[in-house]
Amino acid sequence: MRRAAPGSRVMSDRKLPRLLQTPAVLLLLIWMLIPLGMTLYFSFIRYVLNSLRRPEWTTPSLSNWRGFGNYQFVLNNKDFLFAIQNSLLIVCSILFLTVILGVLIAVLINKAFPGRGIVRVLLISPFFVMPAVNAVLWINMILDPVLGLQGLAVNGINGMIASLQNAPVVGWFFSLWPQLEPISFRATQTSAYAVIIMVTWQWTPFAVLIFMTSLQSEDQQQKEAAVLDGAGLWSQFRFLTLPHLSRPIAIVVMIQAIFHLSLYAEIEIVSRGNGNKNLPYLIGEFANNNIGAASATGIFAVILANIVAIFLLRMIGKTLME
Amino acid sequence: MGRIVLENVTKSFGDAQVIPPLNLTIEDGEFAVFVGPSGCGKSTLLRLIAGLEETTSGQILIDGEDATRVPPSKRGLAMVFQSYALYPHMTVRKNIAFPLRMAKMDQAEIDKKVEGAAKILNLADYLEQKPGQLSGGQRQRVAIGRAIVREPAAFLFDEPLSNLDAALRVGMRLEISELHNRLATTMIYVTHDQVEAMTMANKIVVLRAGHIEQVGSPLDLYRTPRNLFVAGFIGSPKMNFIEGSEAEKHGAKTIGIRPEHITVSADSGPWEGTVGVSEHLGSDTFFHIHNSGLAETITVRADGEVGFKHGDRVRLAPREDVIHRFDAEGLRIA
Ligand SMILES: Nc1ncnc2c1ncn2[C@@H]1O[C@H](COP(=O)(O)OP(=O)(O)O)[C@@H](O)[C@H]1O
Ligand SMILES: [Mg+2]
Repeated sequence: MRRAAPGSRVMSDRKLPRLLQTPAVLLLLIWMLIPLGMTLYFSFIRYVLNSLRRPEWTTPSLSNWRGFGNYQFVLNNKDFLFAIQNSLLIVCSILFLTVILGVLIAVLINKAFPGRGIVRVLLISPFFVMPAVNAVLWINMILDPVLGLQGLAVNGINGMIASLQNAPVVGWFFSLWPQLEPISFRATQTSAYAVIIMVTWQWTPFAVLIFMTSLQSEDQQQKEAAVLDGAGLWSQFRFLTLPHLSRPIAIVVMIQAIFHLSLYAEIEIVSRGNGNKNLPYLIGEFANNNIGAASATGIFAVILANIVAIFLLRMIGKTLME
Repeated sequence: MGRIVLENVTKSFGDAQVIPPLNLTIEDGEFAVFVGPSGCGKSTLLRLIAGLEETTSGQILIDGEDATRVPPSKRGLAMVFQSYALYPHMTVRKNIAFPLRMAKMDQAEIDKKVEGAAKILNLADYLEQKPGQLSGGQRQRVAIGRAIVREPAAFLFDEPLSNLDAALRVGMRLEISELHNRLATTMIYVTHDQVEAMTMANKIVVLRAGHIEQVGSPLDLYRTPRNLFVAGFIGSPKMNFIEGSEAEKHGAKTIGIRPEHITVSADSGPWEGTVGVSEHLGSDTFFHIHNSGLAETITVRADGEVGFKHGDRVRLAPREDVIHRFDAEGLRIA
């Protein structure tokens, strides 16, 4: 307890800022707690949008209590484990690719070269494309096996090989080549890869942007000291640049993990979830009618997000900090 | 071995020539200090020697061999930077071991050398800490440790003490001097502080705008400064310069007399003035004398017990044998 007389000024000095912060803190709490609370609540009751047989389930109420029944229902769903696996596959692949590409590109364009400004602006631009537009562009114009760039390229290569097979000296070599088949990215087995490719394209600029800013604050004298200590380019990168980037990498991983665990538009546009569901997509399917199951899935998604975040941060901390 | 010779070395950044043709020899085992005002090209010169800047023309010889185009890591020199340039993510041990690790030395040998260096530099208790947890003086020692373990032909220091507070600076100055005595390796030390130069150097190189104004031992420079710039730069407080009729009496355009070579008293001496500010250091007192008719201010060093006050009329007696005479070009008259 604080004494009143001499300490009163100190007390008011502390109280006032706290008081002024309260509305913001309260708002944030409400913002987070109400949706989370409602999700929890719905996940423990029977709540459906439409039921001719049990009309009382269409309004949320404690009298429809189901305990862990919704969770059981979700766990027994044939798509649930697959959705978790697929969520992890998509998120981890995107993180892996964007971080590696991001570091490489950031290091490359950190050197001065003519036209650097324009190159930087162009590099950032994919980030400003809307996700749905991004997906439509990629799946129709680039990855389409017939009309997309992929189809055209495969056709072109096949045509070139075909004509080379009749060439004099080297013809025999090219006749050993198989006819290339374009890949259909809407197919069950490949639609996840399409999503990974398009999101990586869109989010690499984000990683580049963050890494580039960080590289500019790298201490040049440390580099010079390392040069004198006999460190080559690779050692400088490995022992100075990479540790310097470990925090920005953690930031990029965290933010992207949060964003990509909730991918939806891309999955919907590429294959409507055929062979490629993640947890949000599953939630969406449940939410067509069964809000209780959708909420339970949502809680699973929250748990998954936390596990992923903790795991990733640990891993980055361990490997980069010497 | 570490004999460094610069022959007609120049350096330009674009059109700006920062170092005009410059010749200098630093003997093996010498403690050479480059001193001069900020922006005069001291760091540039040091970086040329280290190989961090490319020489525009001329030659740099290390132990008789042309090192002008040799990459920095192959010159066998170690540098200590003003900002310490420690690797922040590595422990002190790893920092010191880094050059050895880059040289692919085996681990047992590395450990031995690192611990040896840590012992010399009083860092043994800090080996497992990160640079961020150390004080400025300790960081500086780690930087020095990283240089020592390589057993370089020469050490290069770029204003290594200017980020430390005054008391630490005096301590580190002594430590570096002691290190030099102990290792007997060539050291080149850059500073803008003439006190550091005077106290540490075997050989002082005074630079101005990339030019060498004078090279010599501290006492050479103190006793026989070659020109007005060196005379004014070396010595603290600064030498008094007097022009006009008093200088003409000595057959010079300008004469210079150091504060410690003037005796102040109430009644004896050819010059006269009023006491302005007095700075009491305890051991000494510096009087700033006005209205002498010789110069704006004459600084005089007196014993700490001499007790003139602001406004007192005093007389000044210069020691005639140590009056420095300079001609119209500012050069010393022998
Ligand atoms: N990389 C550079 N590009 C252009 N000018 C430079 C560069 N480095 C130093 N200079 C110029 O060279 C001069 C000498 O600099 P420097 O050697 O750092 O001086 P000092 O160390 O004596 O203070 C300064 O005028 C500075 O502006
Ligand atoms: Mg400098």
